[in-house]
Amino acid sequence: MYHLLIIGGGLSGIAAGIRAARFGLKTLVLEQHSHPGGLNSYYFRQGRLFETGLHAMTNFAPAGQKHAPLNKLLRQLNLRRRQFDLREQIASEIYFNGQSLLFTNDPAVLEAEIAREFPGAIDRFRQLKEEIADHDPFTPGPRRSARQFLDHYLQEQKLVDMLLLPLMIYGNAEEDDMDLDQFVIMFRAIFVEGLFRPSGTIRDFLELLLRQYREFGGELRLKSPVVELLTGNGRVTGALLANGEVVTARVVLSTAGIPETMRLVSWAASPQPYIGRMSFMEIMALVPRMHSASLPPDRTVLFYHKGAELKYRRPEDYLDLSWGVICFSQNFAGLESADPLQIRMTHPANYSLWRRLAPESYSQIKQQWTEAAITASEEMIGKYRSSVVYRDSFTPVTIERYTRKAQGAVYGSSIKIKNGMTPWPNLYLAGTDQGFLGIIGAMLSGITIVNQHILKRSYAD
Amino acid sequence: MTRNEIKDTLLEIIADIDDEADFSSLDADAPLRDQLDLDSMDFLDIVMELRKRYKLQIPEEEYPQLATLTSCISYLEPKLKDV
Repeated sequence: MYHLLIIGGGLSGIAAGIRAARFGLKTLVLEQHSHPGGLNSYYFRQGRLFETGLHAMTNFAPAGQKHAPLNKLLRQLNLRRRQFDLREQIASEIYFNGQSLLFTNDPAVLEAEIAREFPGAIDRFRQLKEEIADHDPFTPGPRRSARQFLDHYLQEQKLVDMLLLPLMIYGNAEEDDMDLDQFVIMFRAIFVEGLFRPSGTIRDFLELLLRQYREFGGELRLKSPVVELLTGNGRVTGALLANGEVVTARVVLSTAGIPETMRLVSWAASPQPYIGRMSFMEIMALVPRMHSASLPPDRTVLFYHKGAELKYRRPEDYLDLSWGVICFSQNFAGLESADPLQIRMTHPANYSLWRRLAPESYSQIKQQWTEAAITASEEMIGKYRSSVVYRDSFTPVTIERYTRKAQGAVYGSSIKIKNGMTPWPNLYLAGTDQGFLGIIGAMLSGITIVNQHILKRSYAD
Repeated sequence: MTRNEIKDTLLEIIADIDDEADFSSLDADAPLRDQLDLDSMDFLDIVMELRKRYKLQIPEEEYPQLATLTSCISYLEPKLKDV
């Protein structure tokens, strides 16, 4: 009998596990895949490690800023800042039809860029920043539209879209608009605190977290898919694994998302409203350093849009190439000498179309769209196709298969269950569908739900 | 445990929660949270660590009694007298 059973060995599940194990709960994390990490995992091709999700982490904070989310998070996990070698972004760019805004981890840079590109709106932007600094996104309240809020303050459609694009791509489950609280969280995470990555791979990062988890006595089982959550007397009693084994527990935390959790526990409600529509195709291309002279050495992430109106929504076609992200994985301070260079491209993708493909046409269509995405990126960063030595890609179908996120929706449901509660008094939700997004957000989600609902009760006694 | 032992234990617990905590100018009769810049999440960790070590259940309504180092020691003294 475990005190706590956690479904999913992604970042929210591992962070939750560290918290629980640290304070004496006998904890088991079950992960279906052979690697931990969930949406932020890794795989090997031709002896090379590829990261699945990570472009950059958000919420950079220097050591010593005690109340910054990043440092709070590390304290909660009983990890020391010096255990991590963190590398800040060089500079990122938002490019919309001839206009460009740069930003770095110094918020003054973005402000100066807006003063240059949108001189008529700069005073209103400064006012907006004050409004954002005063806004508390964590107190529950009625939903407000970020677009209406931005239109009201900025009165400049193009600037609104330019600011929204990076925040949406890195943390918005909704189509077209964004919840104001989520906007404020993402604005601070990206434009105020900023982007960074660990100097090592996501695998190193996960291993460090798992060492901590095991040191506190936590257990992790890989390749252990849960097929059903078992219930009795109105409570969850444990999980049935694919190999027929039953694991019992006093309390269960699911990070599999609302639709998948509903299916596992036979929750008598429709999953439909909780199935997110935003998914992406990710393309990775490797270019040897000796052939990289034409590529920008000083851009970390490039967010671009070429169309007339920004359509942050599921596209009609397999991919929407009118907007996307290009991430240069080595363009972080001190990592610039990596060889080969990795270029990562992300575009919104239509899950239903990819799902419908027969296996024999799937790889052909994928190949075709990979080429099309490279062509689209070459318009932004110059020609490099002939220098690509290796490429790989994954679609919403791949994401769904490996993470169980319904329809490959990386940011999950557009309706979040912020208190993490379910109709079962000892079944809680954490991760994407609880509401904090991204790597830092996912870990904070796992921590918060364990703190609020699990540690304060006496599950260990 | 003696009052001194309780004090040492508390400081050890806080140092483990926050390795940058500076006790050199700590006033035992002033609020810990302000002096050490602890937030409510750090504070929960003190309570949880006491529970893990000594099986002590501290109800949420009694958290205010843990405000200063002196009030913490006085609150814990009878509870830890047999430890």
